[in-house]
Amino acid sequence: MAEIIWGSTPKPVSSQQLASFFDEKGDSIDGFLYIGYPLIGTPEGRFRIDATLVSPTYGVVLFNLVEGRDIEDYEDEQDETYNRIVAKFRNHKTLTKGRKLIIEPWVVTFAPAAQFSPDPTGDYPITNTKTLDSFFDSLPDIDPKVYEPTLSVVQSISTIRKGKRKRNLKDPNSRGSTLKFLEDSIANLDNQQGHAVIETVDDVQRIRGLAGSGKTIVLALKAAYLHAQNPDWKIAVTFHTRALKGQFHQLINTFVIEQTNEEPDWKNIEIINAWGAPGGQDRDGIYYRFCQRNGLEFYDYTSAKRSFGRGYEFEGACEEALTQVTDPQPEYDAILVDEAQDFAPAFLRICYESLGETKRLVYAYDELQSLSEKSLPPPEEVFGYNSEGEPRVRFTEPEPGKPKQDIILEKCYRNSRPVLTTAHALGFGIYREPDSRTGTGLIQMFDHRELWLDVGYEVLDGALEDGSRVLLGRTENSSPAFLEDHSPKNDLIQFHCFHDKDEQASWLSQEIQKNLNEEELQFDDIIIINPDPLTTRKEVGPVRETLFNNGINSHLAGVDTSPDVFFEPDGESLAFTGIYRAKGNEAGMVYIMNAQDCYSSFGNLARVRNRLFSAITRSKAWVRVLGVGENMEKLIEEFNEVRGKKFNLDFTYPTEEQREHLNIVNRDMSTEEKQRLEKGTKDLSKLLDDIEAGNLFLSDLPEEQIARLKTLLGGKE
Amino acid sequence: MASLEEIREQITRITSELIKSGLCDHQNYPSIIEKPGKHKEIVFDTKADLSTVLKNQGYKELYEALLKNKAYNFLMVDGAIIQLMYSFHKGDILGHRLAFFPCPNLLEYQNIPEIYENDEVSADIISEKIVTFPIRFDFDNSEEKFISIDHPKSHLTLGEYRNCRIPVSAPLTPFYFMDFILRSFYDTRDQKFSSQIPPFSHSFSKSISNSETEVVHLQIPSP
Repeated sequence: MAEIIWGSTPKPVSSQQLASFFDEKGDSIDGFLYIGYPLIGTPEGRFRIDATLVSPTYGVVLFNLVEGRDIEDYEDEQDETYNRIVAKFRNHKTLTKGRKLIIEPWVVTFAPAAQFSPDPTGDYPITNTKTLDSFFDSLPDIDPKVYEPTLSVVQSISTIRKGKRKRNLKDPNSRGSTLKFLEDSIANLDNQQGHAVIETVDDVQRIRGLAGSGKTIVLALKAAYLHAQNPDWKIAVTFHTRALKGQFHQLINTFVIEQTNEEPDWKNIEIINAWGAPGGQDRDGIYYRFCQRNGLEFYDYTSAKRSFGRGYEFEGACEEALTQVTDPQPEYDAILVDEAQDFAPAFLRICYESLGETKRLVYAYDELQSLSEKSLPPPEEVFGYNSEGEPRVRFTEPEPGKPKQDIILEKCYRNSRPVLTTAHALGFGIYREPDSRTGTGLIQMFDHRELWLDVGYEVLDGALEDGSRVLLGRTENSSPAFLEDHSPKNDLIQFHCFHDKDEQASWLSQEIQKNLNEEELQFDDIIIINPDPLTTRKEVGPVRETLFNNGINSHLAGVDTSPDVFFEPDGESLAFTGIYRAKGNEAGMVYIMNAQDCYSSFGNLARVRNRLFSAITRSKAWVRVLGVGENMEKLIEEFNEVRGKKFNLDFTYPTEEQREHLNIVNRDMSTEEKQRLEKGTKDLSKLLDDIEAGNLFLSDLPEEQIARLKTLLGGKE
Repeated sequence: MASLEEIREQITRITSELIKSGLCDHQNYPSIIEKPGKHKEIVFDTKADLSTVLKNQGYKELYEALLKNKAYNFLMVDGAIIQLMYSFHKGDILGHRLAFFPCPNLLEYQNIPEIYENDEVSADIISEKIVTFPIRFDFDNSEEKFISIDHPKSHLTLGEYRNCRIPVSAPLTPFYFMDFILRSFYDTRDQKFSSQIPPFSHSFSKSISNSETEVVHLQIPSP
């Protein structure tokens, strides 16, 4: 069945009828039907095609839609459509052989409401609902090999994937060659990504997906598509990790040129920080602008830390601004937020209040990648309630012919199945030693069980029910085999435990030299991540020094100085990074050092496990998890379990009560909470010691307090 | 008298120590360029054409051009740029240019070390006006430029004041320059980065004129 993807169109009625035709055809026509897409850049500006079918059987069919009754000059219009698409196709080497196109596009006029004598098979075919069938019957079959490259060109993905530098490869079996193969294999958007890019709702839209499901590329293409469609709109793209800025810029630029033949008008499409500060366009931010526009007090990093406390700087600043503002002035027509899991809801509300009456806010997130352990609440809670007590944002059920408001990207194109399931197993603590306080090793769990299925797992055994044992595994569909078949299984992900940090450093340095000198990897194919932000600077120093003395230059992704670039553009330096700046980036080979820090942490267990999850999922091909000491050995035991289960997740789904308990036991404690707990423990043990030693008698204590203690303890038993 | 090779060796060793200490986020290897007439220069390895980025620009533009072209030996944790350049003729020092360019829009490391140590993502969200100015130690052994007191052979320039040339007793080795920078701008009460750099015993001969010693001047230690 053809997947229908709804872009915006000035011809809604005829589009709807065309869509219904395809719905009724069911399985007899395969491929994608794009409504209001693609746009083609021409010397006279953008040219919009009413609808396009890309199908493995029929090839490319372009529809000129007639909304009313007037079919005058339809032949001329067909000629123009044909010439435009042919010109576009001819620009792509993958679609030509010699001087000829390898695919012949068809153009047909579809005029459901007009009066005319249908001619579905002539030189200028014109049809209505009744006769469209015979048009398709008259088409010859195409060579199935041309389908993929054609789709890639229609989706404008082919030019975007080319961004990377050329590889100079000699050994077809080297890691470098493997990476090239992987990069070339991900040439098309899948249908969910296609929906997410093109479909726009005049309301809040949410895009969820795992690490590596393509959220960033989807958002960039979406921003570019909105800009190409509506060049007068003021559009903002914002994100948490500034390391993403360069990537967004390049993607949007390429895609807009493809669609309009012009550079984007950067006055109307802004790639902008979330926070921002005074000092010119580079430093601008959504929050900073919000304060400026509405005459509010602006908090910078230091003043926010002073006022709202460590870890709550930006959240506090946003909440304060929302409290102070009385009549928020709009500035944007659309805002797209990447990595929304790393923002507090208050920032999303700032975005919401920065939009005019139509709240085109698109936010993408991955609940598992939250580094702060505060996952985003549902939209009703994020955006609050209106004066009648109704939620301001509520997602409607998907309807055919309507753009989807809530999209989940279930396929993971970055991480292979073993890598992703290992990351999940460690992040959730699936195979962790049971904790005496909870009776399970689990650290956190989705409240909605179905989310496991949504993110691409299937139940292999047992039942996905509270309190039941379940065996979850990823499917070939959600984790394509080509991502893991390129290398032996035990090369995809490895764990190594060292005696001490020196040994870890020298092993790392040797492996990196091998990667660069023998295995045809380039500098920007490698990232070295130290998961604990507080130790990163000190920990990576000795390793970088060793590499420097061996002639290999490196950098530490530090405070963003100006050009928001993560990898060295000329590619002669290795990227070391803490976990925050690793986010949103990816590389073929990922080294994680000092992973022992992620085994456990008093008062931050979920947070350190999330860091490990985020670090592992940066890898496009291989991961090496390194560490020292006993905790590293325990982590390796967990890895051995998941490997022993053939990279499936085998556990008992916690009940609601257990989940709540998990959330309390493993919650993120603030420094004050930790101190209070420590003090409480100390005071209590002193009291017990005194009583036991006979320095104090229970009967000395006030009766009322004893009674309260009894009640508390009784409740626990 | 320190030789070309000794100076390069010093720079390499100092680079290595700076990386280890965690103060330096990116760095270039020092390299030697042979110019016509037995003239050799030690510069940092960069593909950029430096002549385009040195003159007639506002400080912010200058800083950004240096950063973009990676025209430095060290990019420090707080965004400061450090350059070390020497030229020699037949084994004798001809000149040097040792420069410290703090980042115009980041807080100085010494004043707020914890935001850099803790890898705070938002450390650059700053609304305070930051007053930074470059510091240069220049040495030029040519007799044509030399004018006692007005243009000492070895001098310190603060900011980009055109006629600020504080006399200095001799050319500086990389060690003395970096010791000065670390001691003045990076050491904190609890952490002495300057003590982590192993001392070098090389030095250059005195270049200060007698009249220059009678005004306020800087004395380079002689080991």
